[in-house]
Amino acid sequence: MHLTIDELHRAFEKEGYICERDLVITVFLALQLGKPLLVEGAPGVGKTEIAKVLGRVFAADLIRLQCYEGLDENKALYEWNYQRQLLKIQLLKETCAGETAESDLFSAEYLLERPLLKAIRAEKQVVLLIDEVDKVDEEFEAFLFEVLSDFQVSIPELGTLVARHIPVVVLTSNGERELSDGLKRRCVYLYIDYPTVEKEMRILQVKVPEAGDKLAREIARAVHFIRSSLELRKKPAISETIDWARALVALNADALGPEVIGRTVGMVLKNKEDLDALERQVGVKEVADYARSGLAGGGKA
Amino acid sequence: MKPDRVAQTVAAVEGEGLNTLDRSLVKFVHILRHLGVRVSTAEAMDAFAALAKVDILDRLQVKGALQAALVKSYHDRQVFGRAFDLFFAPPEAKEERSRLRRERQAEKERQEQEAESRLLGEIKESNRPWAKDALERLHLTAEQKETLARIPQQERKRLAELFSRMQGNPVNNPSELIARMIGRSLDYWYHRMLQEPEGQDSNQSSGAAPTGADELDQIIEAVSAGPALEQEDDSILHEDMKNIADRDLPKMAVLIKKLSRRLATRISRRYHRSRKWEKLDVRRTVRRSIRYGGAMLDLRYKARRVQKPRLILICDVSASMARYAAFVAQFIYGLSSVVRGIESFVFAEDLERVTPYFRHGGDFAAVMAGVMGESRQWGQTTNLHAALETFLGSHRRLLQPDAFVIVVSDAKTLAAEDTARDLAEIRRAVREIIWLNTIPQKEWKDVPQAAVFREHCRMFECYTLAHLNRVLRGQMPGA
Repeated sequence: MHLTIDELHRAFEKEGYICERDLVITVFLALQLGKPLLVEGAPGVGKTEIAKVLGRVFAADLIRLQCYEGLDENKALYEWNYQRQLLKIQLLKETCAGETAESDLFSAEYLLERPLLKAIRAEKQVVLLIDEVDKVDEEFEAFLFEVLSDFQVSIPELGTLVARHIPVVVLTSNGERELSDGLKRRCVYLYIDYPTVEKEMRILQVKVPEAGDKLAREIARAVHFIRSSLELRKKPAISETIDWARALVALNADALGPEVIGRTVGMVLKNKEDLDALERQVGVKEVADYARSGLAGGGKA
Repeated sequence: MKPDRVAQTVAAVEGEGLNTLDRSLVKFVHILRHLGVRVSTAEAMDAFAALAKVDILDRLQVKGALQAALVKSYHDRQVFGRAFDLFFAPPEAKEERSRLRRERQAEKERQEQEAESRLLGEIKESNRPWAKDALERLHLTAEQKETLARIPQQERKRLAELFSRMQGNPVNNPSELIARMIGRSLDYWYHRMLQEPEGQDSNQSSGAAPTGADELDQIIEAVSAGPALEQEDDSILHEDMKNIADRDLPKMAVLIKKLSRRLATRISRRYHRSRKWEKLDVRRTVRRSIRYGGAMLDLRYKARRVQKPRLILICDVSASMARYAAFVAQFIYGLSSVVRGIESFVFAEDLERVTPYFRHGGDFAAVMAGVMGESRQWGQTTNLHAALETFLGSHRRLLQPDAFVIVVSDAKTLAAEDTARDLAEIRRAVREIIWLNTIPQKEWKDVPQAAVFREHCRMFECYTLAHLNRVLRGQMPGA
């Protein structure tokens, strides 16, 4: 996995991940220093996508550990395959080979690998995505950073298993809670903000080329206006902008007028409160004016 | 081959240990630490390792490398950005900044001197018999001189009026008294100005401690004096809720609603958060084992029954809580709009049920206008005992074993002993009383009622949204 910063940037863009150079520098350093990459930012700015793109760029398997409240070591690391062990015992009963059975029962054959162990025991380097790490409990976070510092785990019955290849680790967090200093210290940190109008327009040009430059620009401006001017429960994600563009293309829309926005804004605002906020705080006409002119108030003095 | 001049200069400078990369990096880390960015030694070493991996002549790469290793939050990223641009600046820019700083420093000293001479002159010109003695006794510290130059004009006038009115009296030793009064008054203003840095946002790196080294301090000052840092959506999480500016109230409303929603989904979670949720259901496992000839191959687990606890919200809207009125209002509104079946009350001198106002949803402003228009409690004195007596008299049926009572109050109430008795009675009937106290925990010792009430409830400091988040995450287990 030896690429220069420029090569990595080109590879990201080739995979459809449009980003600034400073983002690439951070990812490059995480790879070079062999440290986990901790990506923070609002939902929908492309945090998880970084891991997927890295998997594709390096043709490596992506192993995903989706975090949630209550996630424990059994679900993240390993479990013994109880049913299989029990069946073996039943079979051995008939052959009376009980004494040799015990060591067999706790061999790798009966181990159910969960994502962390799978990444450690992988034959070739993999990309390990630990998604939404802010959702796990503090104890699990402590366990996690132990694993991430040594890339080895101890299984009492098998001994210590050391990673054959240090995986590329990407942790994402929506900032629901502050992560511990210990975990942050072990990681290279990257914060991704919502994209600028220009960047989002480029994303649309790559992902929905059939939208054309004019519509792409208007959509990017409208979404930027919605994100920055409204107090929303959930701001539109980049993927929702893309969906909106696809919907508009499907409707043969070539410009964002108030009526079109009114009919399709549900693609980016997905709950009633946010739709009400749009109506109450600015109204679709103002969004349309901004989309057209790039100026608040439709460019009027 | 003869080494070029640049190489010779670099070698000479490095030989003197003056301007090596590691030395610059250490200085930069030092600046960041003084600006409140927590950088450990391990991270500083990572930064050094990162620099070795990038093109050191490419400014963007150097910035990216240092940022990746040293910065671990959105706020710190902005501080880092400013500090980097100032620290890694061309020598001419640094020299110019240094010159401007010296000029500012000289101007500041001039103003301080002027303010001091004016004060001393006013005392002298008062022609009071104690004036000469007072001048001898008055020795202003550096902080007091700085304060004197910065306090509002009005306060300076007030001080001058005080000594013009001061009469000589051999009993009260006026010269000593006036010298002490001036000192105390300036000390008060010094601390007040520290708490409320003028024109600065609370999220800024205000009050950054200087290092004593001129080169570093000018950067620390420049970063601190820059425009307010951009706020992250949840940057008001750690702001004392009484200080949240009006412009941030919509943001606070969104956050409270988000936190309330978390509580709502949390209490409807199917399983308890504990690791013991996988409790073996022996009866069903044995029954299942029959089909496998008695081998317990298919383990069955007990799932906890979905059971949403009832919530009873009792909020203090008395005068002492006035500064938190916005929070209390948003909290009732936020919780009521996402948790079904919640019962809400407000109290000051007595208790009032406000549940019906929130039942039909509706716009926050309209709902709160209704509540505040009808209620007679807002801004009154606090008598929680009377309020709880009303509660026990009229709403006792709400007290169920699965109910949580959430009290939002600063605990400053009349009749503390009687209130404690009421709390004990309620506690026996419900699952838990959770008290969200808007006073910081370290100040609870000054509120004797807090200690008395804590015997009957779990009390948490809750004056920031981060506190509320912590309480909702950690203290409200699913049923």
